[in-house]
Amino acid sequence: MNGESALTRGATDRDVKEKLVGVLLFSCAALTIFVTASILFTLVYDTVTFFGFEETSIIGFLTELEWEPRNGFYGVWPLVSSTLIVTVVSALVAIPIGTAAAVYLSEYASPKMRSVIKPALEILAGIPTVVYGYLALVYLTPWLRSIGLPLGSFNLLSASIMVGILIVPMVSSLSEDAMSAVPDSLRQAGYGLGATKYEVSTRIVIPAAVSGVFSSYILALSRAIGETMIVVMAGGLQTNLFDPLDPFGSLAGSGRTMTAAMVNAVTSDATGGSPEYYSMFAIGLSLFAITFLMNLASNRIAARYREVYQ
Amino acid sequence: MASETPTSETWFGSAEKVGRLRGRVFKWTCLGATVLTLALMLVFLLYVANDAFRPLSADPGWLATMGLTVVVPIALLAGYYYRRDRSAGQVAYTALGLPVLVALASGGLWLLFRHIVTPREWFVLVVSIVVAGGIVVGHSRVRHDAVTERLVVTVLVPLLVVVGIPTVVPGLGQLLYLLPVLPNTLFSLLLGFVLPVAAVVGWRIRDVRDDDRDGAIAAGITAVGGLAGLAVGPLVGIHPTSWFVFAAPIVGALVVYVEHVVRTDKGRSGLAFPVVVAAGIAAGLAATQLLGFAGPNAWLDMQFLTSPHSTTPTDAGIYPTLVGSVLILIVIVLSAFPVGIGAAIYLEEYATSQGRFGTVMELIQVNIANLAGVPSIVYGVLGLAIFINLIGMGRGTAVVAGFTVGLLILPIIIISTQEAIRAVPDSHRQASYAMGATKWQTVRNVVLPESLAGIFTGTILALGRAIGETAPLLMIGVAATVRVSPDSFLSRTGAMPRQIFSWSTQITTEFRYGVLAAGVVTLLVVLLTMNAAAIVLRNRSQQN
Amino acid sequence: MRRVETDGGVSTADDAESTADPTETDSDSEKLVDVSSSFTVSDDDEGRPQAAETAIETRDLDVYYGDDQALQSVSMEIPERQVTALIGPSGCGKSTFLRCLNRMNDLIDIAHVDGEVRFKDKNIYDEDVDPVALRRKIGMVFQQPNPFPKSIYDNVGFGLEVQDKPVTDETVRRALERAALLEEIDGRLDESGLELSGGQQQRLCIARAIAPDPDVILMDEPASALDPVATSKIEDLITDLAEEYTVIIVTHNMQQAARISDKTAVFLTGGELVEYGDTEAIFENPDNQRVEDYITGKFG
Repeated sequence: MNGESALTRGATDRDVKEKLVGVLLFSCAALTIFVTASILFTLVYDTVTFFGFEETSIIGFLTELEWEPRNGFYGVWPLVSSTLIVTVVSALVAIPIGTAAAVYLSEYASPKMRSVIKPALEILAGIPTVVYGYLALVYLTPWLRSIGLPLGSFNLLSASIMVGILIVPMVSSLSEDAMSAVPDSLRQAGYGLGATKYEVSTRIVIPAAVSGVFSSYILALSRAIGETMIVVMAGGLQTNLFDPLDPFGSLAGSGRTMTAAMVNAVTSDATGGSPEYYSMFAIGLSLFAITFLMNLASNRIAARYREVYQ
Repeated sequence: MASETPTSETWFGSAEKVGRLRGRVFKWTCLGATVLTLALMLVFLLYVANDAFRPLSADPGWLATMGLTVVVPIALLAGYYYRRDRSAGQVAYTALGLPVLVALASGGLWLLFRHIVTPREWFVLVVSIVVAGGIVVGHSRVRHDAVTERLVVTVLVPLLVVVGIPTVVPGLGQLLYLLPVLPNTLFSLLLGFVLPVAAVVGWRIRDVRDDDRDGAIAAGITAVGGLAGLAVGPLVGIHPTSWFVFAAPIVGALVVYVEHVVRTDKGRSGLAFPVVVAAGIAAGLAATQLLGFAGPNAWLDMQFLTSPHSTTPTDAGIYPTLVGSVLILIVIVLSAFPVGIGAAIYLEEYATSQGRFGTVMELIQVNIANLAGVPSIVYGVLGLAIFINLIGMGRGTAVVAGFTVGLLILPIIIISTQEAIRAVPDSHRQASYAMGATKWQTVRNVVLPESLAGIFTGTILALGRAIGETAPLLMIGVAATVRVSPDSFLSRTGAMPRQIFSWSTQITTEFRYGVLAAGVVTLLVVLLTMNAAAIVLRNRSQQN
Repeated sequence: MRRVETDGGVSTADDAESTADPTETDSDSEKLVDVSSSFTVSDDDEGRPQAAETAIETRDLDVYYGDDQALQSVSMEIPERQVTALIGPSGCGKSTFLRCLNRMNDLIDIAHVDGEVRFKDKNIYDEDVDPVALRRKIGMVFQQPNPFPKSIYDNVGFGLEVQDKPVTDETVRRALERAALLEEIDGRLDESGLELSGGQQQRLCIARAIAPDPDVILMDEPASALDPVATSKIEDLITDLAEEYTVIIVTHNMQQAARISDKTAVFLTGGELVEYGDTEAIFENPDNQRVEDYITGKFG
């Protein structure tokens, strides 16, 4: 072939191959949309089925204070209150510890300490939730009882503490990223003004990283809300509504969270077409909505902090 | 000259010294909180290990002997490496970890051969693939330019050869079965497994050293290592076929690694480490046998690993669920990994950010980030509703479990692969395009090889997550306890974490403190090995 | 990112919080009011300023980064309340020297300093000197403007806060005024410092540095990242600041040094202080041939 046609588009065979590869890869990416669509479709469709039963109604679901499918009670509040208890207590554990770890790793740690603590936190992050649940049930609860706390053998306190430890690596790693992203020139400016390291860390770095740190909190809490195994194994399945007059009692006793209720709907003796079975979809939809909104909020906040350093 | 101003003597004095107490307290509080949490978990894990292995139930003599032959030499060597020769230390730990990791993988293969694919079927499969591959390669050699034709051939020929058209044309495999003579299990494994592994090792060495002879030697060593099972196996009490499955990959991996160490000539003395460990363990076991010391009465022993569940705690074991977990993993690797990596490649290399299509791409990206945050139990509901109720697949099969958990880790795979691809410098891509390469050629020849280590790290970590996930398994009806290992991907199976959960609901002390601990330790060992491998891989690729 | 910094602190004792220096007010009034002969501004018959007091004196200052020597035995006396410029080609130690004066080099692990730097009658590298206390007397402005992501008001107030000085509207506004910024942003003090233009940001950093009333202001190429208009504003500002503070400025712009400085130090390759003297003398009639070559543009 002469020079001219060597430059013009001739290799159509290769084009075909390239196109095919592109289509194949695109379909892989498009599959993810399909997954979300499926999740939404399933949850919504079967939630509608759930509310189609006699015993159930949307108003009842959202307002009744008892969840006892056996007796026809389908109020979601006890489940929500148990979930909230777990979330709040785990936040009390994870936020201080995770932030402290992040500050230490980002501002104070020597390379040697970093090389020990960071991998340790990563290993912690790799432990499956079923192991955490096991530790809560078999070791933490007896230990807490032995130091005098009047806890039931299934109690939300152990479960919440373990959920908190579960999400510590998440908080610390994301917060540390946010703090390390603070430009060093700001620290230099602080030192130049005669600030101590403590002042630079707490008054310059942390405030500058606050959006990223905050978004990490929300992400971690969203994980805590969706956590299943720990609360099922250690928190028990008895539904309890939070009693504001006896907060510790709610912690010391068992409580069925939203996720535990979903598990119960499948593993209990509930027959296939019963409202209890379909309750799992209604609860699942609520759960999905909550975690989705939290993740959205977290992304928004994180995006805001990324703008600051342009 | 500096004048004497009244203030000069005090600007630096002790009254001016800025208080650091607050800062110090703050620093130590932060460190303390972190360390306390880590220590707490460590204490818990030690308790679990203690309950699983019960080291204190062993003869003091046993402990002393094993301590002398195993612990002391390891400690001494480790100290030596730390002080004198850091690179040797790295080599040492890799040289020890590599066989362990390969052994785990071989274990999975062994389970596969035992329950799902007989060696004979495997052999037939391998032969079919080799024949099909040969045809495709030969065709591409002969008909160099016909790209579309090659595409058709590459897709159709393997399909025809391996599977055939149902009821019309038999695949090569089915034809082979008609032969009067087929290799028995031993030879099937030999020809179908040991030899291919040896060939791969030899090929790699030949590439790396650019020397045909060295490649042949490497292949030979691997083959001999595998074949040694014929002789050594009966002596030690291991069936030769098991030896094949374990020894060939381990020897092969070691050959590749040792060659690498010898060639780069850094930290050679580290190679002694695994030898010392192995020799120490062997010596220790022999000595305790000789001296009659009783080992610990552990819950986690070979019996536990090889028995099914039983209501008698001492008889209970985790074996069938191990098989189940391996099957699920295989399904995930075959389904979620290609899709995830493909999606990541598309999003990073092919997707534009302009125009309407760009917004769709962004939507996909945001969607993936959100999927990563969806609770795992919702994926279980998805699996139940779609795969089981809608499509009608069987409850709790390895395939359904693999798809469900695969969907769960799909966003994780995509995100970590994207990061690995993003780390490849753009200048490399530009160089490739400037030479007239197409996009796929660039991806396949430049981007993928460079990002491979990062992709591996991400996928191993994702796999680790997948092994431990329990909530989705609960929802799709994976069996709570199984007495019999699954015999196919489509039969109802158990899984390790599911078994652990159901054991935790047993009230008897032996179950709760003994069997359960053993199960948890098994799961953790697998997980920690995988995570450690991923971390080491990441560190090494970052060093380069 | 590799940030190999330590606190640079010397103090090992658990001291209580620092209390304000009881004598500080005296020195302030002395600085502002005292126009006795210890001041520098009167010229002698030939128009040369009379010998001024020395604010900072270095003696045989050597700096090593690891094995590389960045400064070679630099000895100079920097006069009070004048602008001293450090010029020279890039990489010859000017910024290193500047960072020695407020011990910012302490933040770099591999930096090692020999020799003396005397400030207020004390070698600042002595064991018992707290670098943090030192930096409260010697302020610094960096090449790239680096305001905190806080409001303008909080930016200026930060230095006052960490030095336990009261943060009042008056002090903040005074600092902004001295930095020639108040007029442009009056009424917008709550806005983020990052919303300002480059030149304004740099003036904000200057306001931040002078708010706690240091004795010396170090400036590391303060205008090199700015456009010519902003640059000239900064230059005017520096000349004004020199009436109250000792200003030491590193610049790669020789014309700038000739414009605004009273004394000039020329650093050449390897961290060597080759010549130091009155600016006019250096530029019109340098003693050293290499300096003349550099100034006339034969290299660098």
